[in-house]
Amino acid sequence: MAESIILSVTGAGTQFSGELWHVGRLESNISRRPRRHFVWLSLNNKQHLQLNRYFWPIPRTRALNFNPRGSPLHLAYGKEAEDSFLSNANKDTDEMFDDLFKKYGKVVFGRNDQKPSAAELDDDAESLSFAVEIAKAVSEVKAADIKVLFVKPLVYWTRFFIIATAFSRPQIDAIGTKVRDLAETKYGKVPSGDTKPNTWTLLDFGDVVIHIFLPQQRAFYNLEEFYGNATQIELPFENQPPFRS
Amino acid sequence: MIQPQTLLNVADNSGARKLMCIRIIGASHRRYAHIGDVIIAVVKEAGPKATIERSEVVRAVIVRTCKELKRDNGIIIRYDDNAAVIIDQAGNPKGTRIFGAIAEELRQLNFTKIISLAPEIL
Repeated sequence: MAESIILSVTGAGTQFSGELWHVGRLESNISRRPRRHFVWLSLNNKQHLQLNRYFWPIPRTRALNFNPRGSPLHLAYGKEAEDSFLSNANKDTDEMFDDLFKKYGKVVFGRNDQKPSAAELDDDAESLSFAVEIAKAVSEVKAADIKVLFVKPLVYWTRFFIIATAFSRPQIDAIGTKVRDLAETKYGKVPSGDTKPNTWTLLDFGDVVIHIFLPQQRAFYNLEEFYGNATQIELPFENQPPFRS
Repeated sequence: MIQPQTLLNVADNSGARKLMCIRIIGASHRRYAHIGDVIIAVVKEAGPKATIERSEVVRAVIVRTCKELKRDNGIIIRYDDNAAVIIDQAGNPKGTRIFGAIAEELRQLNFTKIISLAPEIL
């Protein structure tokens, strides 16, 4: 087993043993084939251990070919660090790691495809306004029992469900056409999903998914119960008095 | 790698237990079906009080395969079993709930109904 451990000590410190144990554990987990470990330990003046460890398996066999680009979860040290980390992988790694360590002190575990929370909130708000607009359009075509569910905490693949009941296939067709027109003219979105009216017609706008059921199918599939934990969005037009009283 | 005569588990609550593939739809030049392909299958085994009977011919969409599914980003998904969900001609699932993990690829293939009934999407 080829292994190189490099220690760079910038101050006085005593907490070595725990970290070295850590290294040993890592090694036993993943090492049946020869590979290299580079470990950086740094101790600052206040005797707080700051550990920066770059675990970098270099496969010698094809079976263990590890592609850092493809892995969804890997050690991320910030965007820049990651880029340089990957591009210089086969170059002089010592210098590169020293530079990175000076720049970013701590190891951060995270996914690289996550957006900042502010951007997420913006997207949520945008999807919400789109969903409410669609729900309004659906109610204008006299669909019954319209529910807008915020399902993002439950499933990752979409944000809002709109569930509505229509009473005939022509009505489903009318709802589908209206929603498609509205989305395309106002938002420039084109749905995937059903193109013909179906007993369960689904329009998939990505962040908003619309389910239009006939009453029988709605009771049969019972999507509201399946997504029972989702928060229901209050619709502004629901509280208004009906047109004919 | 599903081909005619392959036995599949049923991943929904339609009542069928085992299916046998007898035809792959839209695959005249292909030997095997993969995740997201529609097959014609025979119900080889059905549970008690099921709406679907044994030896019925049904349409089904493959949702899990033992053969690994590769994605562009390098992720490889391999399930422990071959499983399918029974659908009708219009693409609506026969059952009301799906069991087990389902691959996200089904959404791109317009099986979002199956995705929205599934408990876990990979």
